[in-house]
Order: sequence, then structure tokens, then C-alpha cells
Amino acid sequence: MDPVAVDILKSEEVVAGNTPAATPRSWYSNVLVVAAVLFAAVSVGFVGSIFWSSLPTWVHHGGTLLTSSAWVSPAGPFGGLSMITGTFETSIIALVIAVIIGLGTSISIVFFIPRRFRTVVATLVELLAAIPSVVYGLWGLLVIAPWMEVTVNPWLNKWPFAKTIFGNSGQEFGTSLLLASIVLGIMILPTFVAISREVIAVVPQDLQEASLSLGATRWQMIREVVLPTAKIGLFGATFLALARATGETVAVALVAGSVANAQFHLLYPGTSIAAWIATEFGESQGTEISALMALGVILMLLNVGLALISRALVSRQRKVLARV
Amino acid sequence: MTDLIELEEPTEPSTSSREEIRRISDNARARRVVTSRIMVALCGVALLIAAVPLVALLYQLIDKGAGQLNLDFFTKLPQTPTLIAPNATGGISNAIVGTIALTLYASILAIPVGVLVGVYLAETNSKFATTLRVIAQTMAGAPSILMGLFAFSFIVHDLNVGFTAIAGSFALAVLMLPVIIISTEIAVRNVPNSLREAGLALGAKPHMVSTKVVLPSAVTGIVTGVILAISRAVGETAPVLLVIGGGFTNSWQPFNPVSAMPLAIFENAKSEWPSQRAQVWGIALVLVAFVFVLSLTARIWASRKQQVRN
Amino acid sequence: MTEIQAVPTTQVVTPRVRGPIEMQLKNVAVSFHGRTAVRDCTFDVEKNRVTSLIGPSGSGKTTLLRALNRLHDLTPGAKVSGQIILEGTDIYRGNLTVTELRTRVGMVFQRPNPFPTMSIYDNAVSGLRFNGIKKKSLLDEAAESSLRSAALWDSVSSRLKVAASNLSGGEQQRLCIARALALEPEVLLMDEPTSALDPVATLRIEELMTSLKSRVTVVIVTHNMQQAARISDDCAFLLMGEDRAGELIEFDTTEKIFNNPVDSRTLDYTLGRFG
Ligand SMILES: Nc1ncnc2c1ncn2[C@@H]1O[C@H](COP(=O)(O)OP(=O)(O)OP(=O)(O)O)[C@@H](O)[C@H]1O
Ligand SMILES: [Mg+2]
Repeated sequence: MDPVAVDILKSEEVVAGNTPAATPRSWYSNVLVVAAVLFAAVSVGFVGSIFWSSLPTWVHHGGTLLTSSAWVSPAGPFGGLSMITGTFETSIIALVIAVIIGLGTSISIVFFIPRRFRTVVATLVELLAAIPSVVYGLWGLLVIAPWMEVTVNPWLNKWPFAKTIFGNSGQEFGTSLLLASIVLGIMILPTFVAISREVIAVVPQDLQEASLSLGATRWQMIREVVLPTAKIGLFGATFLALARATGETVAVALVAGSVANAQFHLLYPGTSIAAWIATEFGESQGTEISALMALGVILMLLNVGLALISRALVSRQRKVLARV
Repeated sequence: MTDLIELEEPTEPSTSSREEIRRISDNARARRVVTSRIMVALCGVALLIAAVPLVALLYQLIDKGAGQLNLDFFTKLPQTPTLIAPNATGGISNAIVGTIALTLYASILAIPVGVLVGVYLAETNSKFATTLRVIAQTMAGAPSILMGLFAFSFIVHDLNVGFTAIAGSFALAVLMLPVIIISTEIAVRNVPNSLREAGLALGAKPHMVSTKVVLPSAVTGIVTGVILAISRAVGETAPVLLVIGGGFTNSWQPFNPVSAMPLAIFENAKSEWPSQRAQVWGIALVLVAFVFVLSLTARIWASRKQQVRN
Repeated sequence: MTEIQAVPTTQVVTPRVRGPIEMQLKNVAVSFHGRTAVRDCTFDVEKNRVTSLIGPSGSGKTTLLRALNRLHDLTPGAKVSGQIILEGTDIYRGNLTVTELRTRVGMVFQRPNPFPTMSIYDNAVSGLRFNGIKKKSLLDEAAESSLRSAALWDSVSSRLKVAASNLSGGEQQRLCIARALALEPEVLLMDEPTSALDPVATLRIEELMTSLKSRVTVVIVTHNMQQAARISDDCAFLLMGEDRAGELIEFDTTEKIFNNPVDSRTLDYTLGRFG
């Protein structure tokens, strides 16, 4: 399970359920305050320094960054469009994969797995989340990409509309946006499962039994009662998984192909904001670094926005259930 | 409260409707049951599909990685293969030393501050504390590449420290901080208030209660969080990629460039030398083993302590 | 239809002419992971009467009630033995699917629990929808008649599309009863249906149960002795045995159980001397 995601969930609950006694001032409380202020400074510095470094780009080339897809090292122009579209494209396909498989997984874990296997399965999902993303990237690059190139891509290209969706150029690439989406989907699965499992598990038992007592089948119970009751929380899980997908860096850098192209075609190589920062940074200087920092600002805003939406949804779900 | 209800004669639907309802539901029953079975089976299939990558990945890691492990792998410095010696990849000792050094310095930077901030959040109810909590939660989910950008612009560039281990450790520390803060706060808040009150009732000073009573009872949760934070930092590539410079010696110096295992994987996975690409599996196996041991330790320890408490 | 027969308990049976039988329990026992929670339950539930299950906490009332519509099927480690016969069919071994059984044996829970994401109307017809009925005219008719039967129609007919959570606790519980009635069940199981309600709402539900008798057989678990005495016709008293497993001590008409029980423990309990 995604430990951070679940911890965030828990922390809301724990905070809501516990009011500490007021601590009088002492040298000890002063130390705590100093640490807190230090952390506040770090967080301000975190946002501030990235934004500050990106300022030249916003001032001089802000329009280019958001509208052009031409990225020419080292002097510019620095257009970020292909990274932005690549981020959305890969993240959304990954999300579709993760939500479909993840929902089935969560439902199975909550309703169908015998209790004594539940911990084992939960541990396995947690391990999936603990694997460093560079290892997923390595696996995608050295194992899946050659297989895609030789087997999957030619097969996909035989479909009707293949040219529109996949971009049949006659060339076969192993690394592609499609591969990046699949690897990303696998990577965000544990995050989605961690949260969706929790929100599904807390749907009150008697609601489930009430539906069964009306002659519902187990699937009707899940579909008509459990999922609607957990709906808001499930959206929260979805947004958090999306946030994770947009921020994933090295795996995408390895398997997407690291090419700045604004093609939507899934079998073409591409890149994402985070992956592009990782691959370009080493060879960059001056204005290009500033442009990469500006991409970082976009990524930060996107990520914070999605995470805040997710938090709001999950805490609303908690309130909904409190009323049920 | 209104008056008691007037009970009407119980009304029943007409006989024809009842029959129609009965007929429809009898006809629909078999189909509903089959649909349910199919959907349940599909959920099971989803679970199996979710397991496939884990199994495949672990299998390949061991299959391809185990053969790479030998004494040279752990103790030698890396070499670039040449046409004459295409299999001379050397070892990864610099990456192992680098990863340990980076994690060590990052822990020194992050753990004390993180624990103190966590305790602060747990013992304070103020706007400031609430804001910090939201910041910590948001930062915990922030893309790790941003920590790299921060470390670059602040440490490498502004402080002019250059591409060094300490810059990487700074990035990792920023990554670990929110995780430690959140888990510490949870651990401290989970200490029963009665314990706290008992301490105060005995006349202990608040800071004595906090350090002598509350922190010791919360220590399991705190340590679990710290281990999870470390295991996350060990595997991170993106933040260190931008700032550690990729040293080729075994260096413990904070102000030298260093390498790291994730970085070595990232660089060598794209190598044109088959021998280097093969070696990468060995590095990945070591890294994953490291991370698994850390997170399983944290998990088992936490659940053991939980049982003791229950 | 099963033939009419006397109650096969070891107790002395009052020679009363019994009506047609809805459900027959023969040596019903329920265990969880091999630990017996309730056993030796043998009695007949008569048609169009209210049968109450009373007994101290932990004596297995809920456990027994849930066996009657096979809600234990999904509990891991739960095992139901003995026979429960509904209109001649063994509900565990006969050829009656569990979904069909549950449309014939409905249930109302302790906590008023309308489906929170559905409107009042949708709650009322949810059972029909689960069973595949989509035709609007049928749903409308069933919604109105079931809400009327639950004495709820007059207060909610103008706001059927409103979320069910807007109703008061008592109204919510009546909606749950309406929801169960919409399927025209033969038996309605109720597990302490008024324990979460105030006295006025409780009284309304009690009146409702009496009025429904002509149409449905009610089996109700209650902790409230006055309630059992007020509304039930027959009464089963359960008590924990030595090994903490609940067992049926006595089953008879409510009048007999409260006024002239065979077992002294029954008298002790109904007089509030223990438990
Ligand atoms: N799902 C279960 N798993 C294990 N044991 C159970 C389960 N459900 C009930 N029991 C046990 O069965 C026994 C009877 O419980 P039950 O809930 O039927 O009692 P009750 O008479 O309804 O009590 P109350 O009046 O408090 O509602 C108890 O000892 C309980 O622990
Ligand atoms: Mg009960």
C-alpha cells in the first residue's frame, strides 16, 4: 500500500479525533516552535526558489513555453507543449488502466478474499508500491519495450483506425507513450488500491446487508449500494493516483523515448514534463535551466491542484459516512 | 412532534401488478445471478492482473540479477567496457557507498527536524499548525524531481556548493521530512491522553511528560515512519540525478560528487554495452532487496508492537 | 403448505388450535468457527402473527434471526445446522435460491439504514429494481402502496425525490419497512427496530406492525419487555447455557410466556430479575 497516501488519510482521522492539552511555554516548546518555523522556511524556500529560478522564462518566454512545441537546446526557443500534452496523455491512459484494474482489485480484497489471506495480499500490493520507480523503468525498457516492438505494436497496427490512434509510421519503436502509460498505470495502481480499498471497506455493513435482504445479488449490492456510497472517496483516490502519475519521472524518462514531439500518436516516442526535466537537465545551462524550472512550476501547480482536490474529496467522503 | 399517525388500511397493489412483478422477477433471477458471478470473476481477474507485474518483475530481477552478484560487483569501481574487453564492467562500490552516504546525511538533516515538527503538530492546535500539516501532506505527494530542482537552485547554484553529495542529501531530506512529520504526528496523537494526564497529575513538567512519557510510547510509530522515509529515499533517482554529479570514486565526503545505485541503474540501462545493461539487473536486485528489507522491517515491527499493545 | 402440528419441544404444550404455519424451525443451531452461538431452536412461526424473540444480551437472538434469511451465508466461519422450513421448502437445502428467499423473507435492521445515495422513492422501490423490475407504472404503484402501508405516504408524497437522509430517524425506519414491504414478503424479520428511536416513533412502528399482521408474518427481536408483551402473539425466550451458547428455553404464546411460563428462568427474565 502507498504508505504516504494511507498515512495522510489516517492523519485526518487522528487529528479530528484528538485534541491535545495546551502546552505551557518552556524551553522545550520553544525548540518545537523553532523546528516548525524551520520547516515552514524550507517549504517556502522550496516553492520560492524554483519559482524564482523560473522567473526569467516567465518574463521573456512565457508565451512560447505554453504554446510552442519546439524545444531547441541550448539557446531556445523553449516550447513546453509536447511535454504538457505528453504528461496528460500518459497520465490519463495510466489512470484508466489503474482505475479499472484497481477497482476490481479493491473489491476483491474487501469482499472476496478470505480474511486470512487479506494481509498477504495487502503486503504484496504494498511491496508493489515500495519498488523504486527506476526499477519499473528498467523493467519497461529492457523487458517490455523489446516485446512491444516485436509483438504488440505490429499487432496493434493491424487494427482499423490504428493510424489515427497509434500513428503507423512504418517504423516500430519500443519506447513509446503507450509503453509509458502502461508502466505508469502499474506504478499508480498501489496508490489507487490503497485509498479505494479503505473507502470501500468503511461502507457500513448493515447497508450491504439491507440490499442483500431485498434480494440483491452480491454484484448488485456492490454496484448499487457500496460503490455509490463510496463514490466521492473513490474520486479522491482517482485524483491522487492522477497526481502521482503526473509527477512520475525516471520511469517515464526511460520508457517514453525522451523525444519532445507533440504527436498524440501513442506508438511514437514522447516525453512528459517531469521526464523531460530529468533527461535535459544534465546538458542544460542558463536560460534552458530556467525554462526547465518553469516546467517544474507547471508540474508543481498541477500536482498540488490535483492533490488538494483529492484531499477535499476524501474528507468529504468521511463527512458523508459520518452522517450515514 | 406531530400527533400519532392515523393508520390507513394497509393498501396492497392490484393482483395483476403483483403477478407481473412476480413474473418479471422470476424471469430476471437467473440472469442476475449469472451477471453477479461474472462480475465477481472479473474482479478476481483484475486482482490477478494486478499481481502479474509484481510477479514478473520480481522473477526477472532475481533471474537476471542474481548472476551478476559477486565480490567484484560489490567491491570494485565501475569500468567502461571497451572493444577489447566488452565484458569489463567493474563493480558498483562507488554507487553503494554513494547511496549509503547520501541516505546517512539526508537522515541526519531530516530526522531531528521531522520528529520535532511532528511533535509540534501533535501538541498544538493553531492555524499555523494546521497550515503546516496541509503543507506536509501536499509535499509528501509532490513529484520528487521538484526536490532536485530545489536542491539545484538553492544548494548547487545559490550557495555555490556545486554538484555534491550534500546537495543530493538535501534533496532527499526535503523528500523525507513530510513523511517523518506525518507519521510522527500520528504516533504522538495516538498516545492516550490519560497517559499524559497521569504524568501531569504526578506533578511532572509538561516537557518532562512529553519527553519521558509521550515520546517513548510513540517511539514505535515514529521509527516506523522514519524507516519508511529512508526506504523511499534510498530508491529515489530523480532528485539526486540533478545534483550529485555522478562521482566515480568511493567517496564519503559530503562536498564531493558521488554516485548512487538508482542513478547507476538510470544511466546504465541505456548503455549500448550488453554487459552493462546486464549488470544493471544486479544493481536493481540489490536496491530492491534493500528497500524490501527496510519496509518489511518497518511493517513487521509496527504490527508486532501493535499486538503487544492490544 | 405444511400440515399443522404441535410444537415439538420437551415443554408441556398448551392445547391451543394453531393456525397455518409460515416457518418451521427444527433444531436450528448456528456456530461461528466451531463455537456454537445458539442451538436447540425448535418452534413454529405462525402465519399472520407477530413472534418475538427475547432474552438477555448475547443469547443469540440476532444470530437466530439472521439465519432465517441466510444472512450468515457471507460470514466466514458461520455454519447453520438443523432445518428451517418456509412453506414446505428447506431454505438451506431445498431448491430455493438465496436471492428468492430474501425477497420472500425481508429484514429491517436495528439502525434505520435507508440507502444514503438514493431518494425516498428510489429507496422504496430499490427491492423491485434489484429484482429486475423497470416498468415505471409498476414501480410507482409499489412505491405508493408500500409507503402508504408504512404510514409514510402522506408526509413524503410531495417530496419523493428528496434524499432519504433528510427524514427523521423514525421516518427513516418506516421507509426501511416500506422498502421491505414493496417486495410483498411473506415474512418480515426485525432486529430491535425501535431501539434507535424515541418513544413516539417507537409507538408508531409498533402500531404499524400490528396493522401489517394481516399481510405479513413478523418475527421481531426486542429487548423491551413491554414491547414484546404489547405487540407479539407468540414469544420465544432464549438464554445462554453453561458453555455460553444461547438456547431456546421456552416458546409459547406471549400471554403464557409472560403470565404463566413453564420454566422459572423465563419468569425471572420477564420480571426483570436478571439480565
Ligand atoms: N459474526 C460472528 N462471529 C463470531 N461470533 C459471533 C458472530 N455474531 C455473533 N457472534 C456471537 O454469537 C453470540 C450471540 O450473539 P447475538 O448477537 O446473536 O446475541 P443477541 O442475543 O442478539 O445479543 P444482543 O441482545 O446484545 O443483540 C455472541 O456470543 C456473539 O459473540
Ligand atoms: Mg442482537
